[in-house]
Amino acid sequence: MKQQPKVNEVNEFLEIASDFEDPLEVIRESLSNAYDANASHVEFTIRERPHGSDIVIEDDGGGMSRQDLESFFDLGNSRKEDAIGYKGHGTKIFYKSDEIVVNTSRDGTTLHAEMKDPWRKLNNKELPEYTVTETPSRKGRDGTLIRISGFRSGQGLGPESLTYNKIEHYLKWKTIAGSTAHFFEDNHHDMKIEVDLDEEIDDTKGKLEIDSNFTFPDEQLEPGDGDFPAERMCKHFPSEGGRVIEVEHEGGTSEVEIVGMVAGKEARNELATYGKHSAQFGVWLAKDHIKVEQLNEAVPDNVEHTHLMFIVNCQDIELSANRGKIRNKSSNVYQRLVEEVRHYLSKVCSHPWFLEYMEARRQGELNRKAQSQSDSVAQRRERLAKRTDFVPENRAELVLALERSNRKSGVKEIEVADYRPNDEVASFIRDGDDLKPTSVYLQVEDHFADDKPLETIDTVLAWEWGDRDSLREYARQGYHDGMLSVDFAEQKLEYEKDGERKQVDVVLVSKRLRQEKPLAEIQ
Amino acid sequence: MSQFANTASSVSFDITETAGKARAGVLSAGTATIETPNLFPVVNFYGGGRAESMFGGSTHRTIKELMIGADRVDSVDCSDYFDAAMMTVSSLTEYGISRNVLRDYLSEPIKARPVFDKFNGMLFIDSGGFQILQRGGLDGSDFQIDMDQDAVFDMQQKMGGDILVNLDRPISPEDTYEDRVAKAQQTGQDALQFADLAADHPGARYLTFHGYDYSMIDTFVSTMQDEFGDQSIHELFDGIALGGLVPKKDDRDALIDAVLGCKEVMAENGIADLPLHVLGISNGAIPLLAALGVDTFDSSSYLQSGINGKYATSLTKFINVDDADFGQCNCPVCSSDELVSRMQGNAQYRKDIMGPVAVHNYIVQQRAVERIRELIQQGETDPLIDYIDATVGREDSTRRHAHRVVNESLGGYF
Repeated sequence: MKQQPKVNEVNEFLEIASDFEDPLEVIRESLSNAYDANASHVEFTIRERPHGSDIVIEDDGGGMSRQDLESFFDLGNSRKEDAIGYKGHGTKIFYKSDEIVVNTSRDGTTLHAEMKDPWRKLNNKELPEYTVTETPSRKGRDGTLIRISGFRSGQGLGPESLTYNKIEHYLKWKTIAGSTAHFFEDNHHDMKIEVDLDEEIDDTKGKLEIDSNFTFPDEQLEPGDGDFPAERMCKHFPSEGGRVIEVEHEGGTSEVEIVGMVAGKEARNELATYGKHSAQFGVWLAKDHIKVEQLNEAVPDNVEHTHLMFIVNCQDIELSANRGKIRNKSSNVYQRLVEEVRHYLSKVCSHPWFLEYMEARRQGELNRKAQSQSDSVAQRRERLAKRTDFVPENRAELVLALERSNRKSGVKEIEVADYRPNDEVASFIRDGDDLKPTSVYLQVEDHFADDKPLETIDTVLAWEWGDRDSLREYARQGYHDGMLSVDFAEQKLEYEKDGERKQVDVVLVSKRLRQEKPLAEIQ
Repeated sequence: MSQFANTASSVSFDITETAGKARAGVLSAGTATIETPNLFPVVNFYGGGRAESMFGGSTHRTIKELMIGADRVDSVDCSDYFDAAMMTVSSLTEYGISRNVLRDYLSEPIKARPVFDKFNGMLFIDSGGFQILQRGGLDGSDFQIDMDQDAVFDMQQKMGGDILVNLDRPISPEDTYEDRVAKAQQTGQDALQFADLAADHPGARYLTFHGYDYSMIDTFVSTMQDEFGDQSIHELFDGIALGGLVPKKDDRDALIDAVLGCKEVMAENGIADLPLHVLGISNGAIPLLAALGVDTFDSSSYLQSGINGKYATSLTKFINVDDADFGQCNCPVCSSDELVSRMQGNAQYRKDIMGPVAVHNYIVQQRAVERIRELIQQGETDPLIDYIDATVGREDSTRRHAHRVVNESLGGYF
C-alpha cells in the first residue's frame, strides 16, 4: 500500500512565521510585495498600541487578483516568478498579529479580505480562516492597502526599539529600498517610500521619505590635507553603473552584477548601515539586489576588507525562508560565483587608484608618526635644557660618557674596542695589548639582576654601583653556585666557582668624571 | 653617419600596430622576416654529432628532426612553427667536441647546410657571454679557445646568424654598484668592437642591456655610451637585447620592473623604435612581456620541460606526460599516432619520447604568441586585456602581476 507523507499545516505556518524574528521584517516583506506589484509609491503608518502595533501599508501598485490574494494568505503558493517574493513565505510574518485586513483594487474590482486572530489561532493549533468580499471600484485606482492590527514580533515596533533613524538605516541596508538594481539596466523601477511613525514612537519628524536606490558616497579621488589624508578618499568601481560578469558553471551560465566602492573611514561613515557599522563593510552577496550575506573571504589576503563595500547580486543563489542565509553554498554555481568575485576584487585591489589610496594612508601614518616624533624631540630638547649634570640614561650613553671621561686630565684612558649591546658580552675594552671582555650596564647591580655570568668577563663598565645592599645580598646568597665578594673600595668583584678564582674589575664612569686624581689611582 | 654604422642595410623593424604599450610589427634581418611579437626557440643546431646524425644526439636531435619533418619522426613536419630560432656560441661545445668537429661546425652557415634546408627562419646567435665568462672560454675534448669579442663574432658570423649580439658581461643579483659599472664598461668596449666588426654584416646587430630596474639599466647604458663616445646607439645597433634576467625569471615583479625600466631608458635615449628582445624568459611571462612592449623573446623552457616529461596544456600549466590526453591537442605532434605512441612510452630511446613532448610544448607557446600578436594587431587594448585576464590572470601565482601589467601597460580593467 502506498502512503503519502502528511503535512501539519498549522505547525508549518507557525514555523515559517516564527522564522521572522526581527519585527522590521514585516516592512521588508511589504516593500518587496509593493515592488513586485510595480508600485511607484508605498506608505507605512505604524502606531503603537497596548497589545502590539497597528501597521498600515498602502501602495499604488497593480493590486491583487483573487488568486494573488490566496497566495498572499497561503503558504508556499506564490504565483510570482522571477520576483522577490517567489517563495510565498514572506507575508506569513503578518500572521503574528490580531487581525489582517487587505483591500486591493485591480481593473475596477476591489477585494476585501479579513483574517481574525491568526496568531492566537495558530498557537491554539487552529488554522486561521479569512473571508473575501468583492465590490466594484473606480478604474485607475489600483493599489493595495494592508492593515495589520496588534502585530507582535521580537522586541516589537515600540518607542524603545524604533526610531526614524533606525528604520531608515534598516530600509537602506536590508530591503529593496537599498536596491542596487538601478546600477544595471534590468527590470528596475524607482519607488518612493514614506514611513509615518506614531509620535509616541518618534516625534523628531513628521514622516520619513526615501527612494529605493542604494547610492555610494560621492567620489573623492585625491587625498585630503589633514592628518588622515585618505579618510575621505572614495572611488566607485566601476566609475559609472555596474559590472555584469557571465559566470560559467556546471549548470550553465549565471549573470553576476557587481558594484562597489573603495573608501576611507569618513566616506564610509556617510553610508547608512544597519547593525554594527564597522562590521558592515566588505563584500555582500545579494539576491533581488537586496544584501543577504557577507563574503569577505573574497577580498585579497593582503587587504583589509573594511576598505571595500561591494554588492554582488546573483539571482542563482538560493535563500532560506527568512532571506537571512544562502542555502546553496555547496553548489557549483556558488563556488564559481565566489571564484569570480575573488578574481574581480583582485583587479580592484590592483587598480592604480587603490594603490594610491593605500599609499595615502601609509603617508598619513608616517606623517603622524613623524609629528609624534617631532613632539618627542621637542620634549627631549626641553628636558635636556633643564638638566645640569650629565647622567646616562642608556648603555650607549654610558659608553659616550666613558669616552668623555677619557678627556679629563689625570684619568687613565680606557678604549672601547667594540660595543654590541645585544651580545652576551656587550663590549671589549683595550688595556694595552690585552682585550678585556666587558659587561656594560648603567648599574653594576643590573648585571646580576640580568643573571649574567661572571666567568666570561674581566670588567664591568657601569655608571655607578646601584643598590649596594642588593649587591651584598648577591654576595651573601652566592651567585651562580659560586662565592661572590664585592670590594666597593677597590672596585673589584671576587668570584670563586669550582675551585677557580676570578677577579672582575669595576669601572665606574661617574666616578671617573667626578674625580681628578693621580692617574694611577683612577681606573 | 657613424664610423661603424651598418652598411648592409638589410635590417628593418616596422611597428604596424599598437595596443597600449604592446606593439606588433615586422622584423627583417639577414635573410628572414618575421612578425612580432615572436618567440625564438633555443635550438642546439650542433649537439656534438655529425651531419648524418642531424648534428647531435639526445632530445636536441629529435627536435631538429621534427623541425625539418625527418623520416625518423614519421615525417611529421613542424617547420611552419619554426620561423625563428636561437643558438648560443657557447653551446657549440656543450658536448665536448674535438677541434676537427668544431672546424666542421663552423665551416658552413647553419641555414646553408642541406640538412637544415627546411629551416629558413630568423636565426639569432647569442654570444653566450655568461657561459663563456664562467668557463673562461670554449673547452673541447682536445682544445681550449680563449674567447673575446673578436672570436665570438667570428663564430657568430660563420654560423650565419641573422641577428648577432655583442659579447656581454651579464650582471648578477650579488653584484655591487661598482661591479655593475665595471661590467658595463667592459660590455661597452666589446659592443663598440662588435659594431665595428659587424659593420658589413648583412644581419642585425643587437646591443645588450643589463639591469633589474630603470636606475640599473640607465647606469649600464650611460656607462656604455661613455665608451661609444659621440656615436649613438641608434647608429651602431639595430636592436636591444635585455639580458641577465634569468636569475629573476620566477620573480615577475622584477621582470616587469626591468622591462618597464628598459623601455623608459630606450625612450630617453631615442631608441624606442628599435626592436626589444628579452633573453631567456618565456612561458607564463610571454603575455606579460608582450603587453609591456617586448618584441621578441627566446625559450629553452619548452625543451627543459620536455626533458623532464612535462607536457604543456597551456602557457602556464604542465602535467606529467603519462597523464596527458593527446586528443585534446591538435598540434602536428599530437596529431601523429606514431608520435603519440612514442610519447606514451613506446620508444626505445628516451629522446624519442621527450623530443616530441618538447616540440609540442614549444608549439603551445608559439601558438600563444601568435594569438597575442593577432590581438595586438586589432589595435585595441580590450582583446589583449581579456586574453591576459583569462590566462595568466587566472593563476594565483601570476594574477597580481597580470593585473599590474594590465594597469600599467594596457590602461587597466576599469
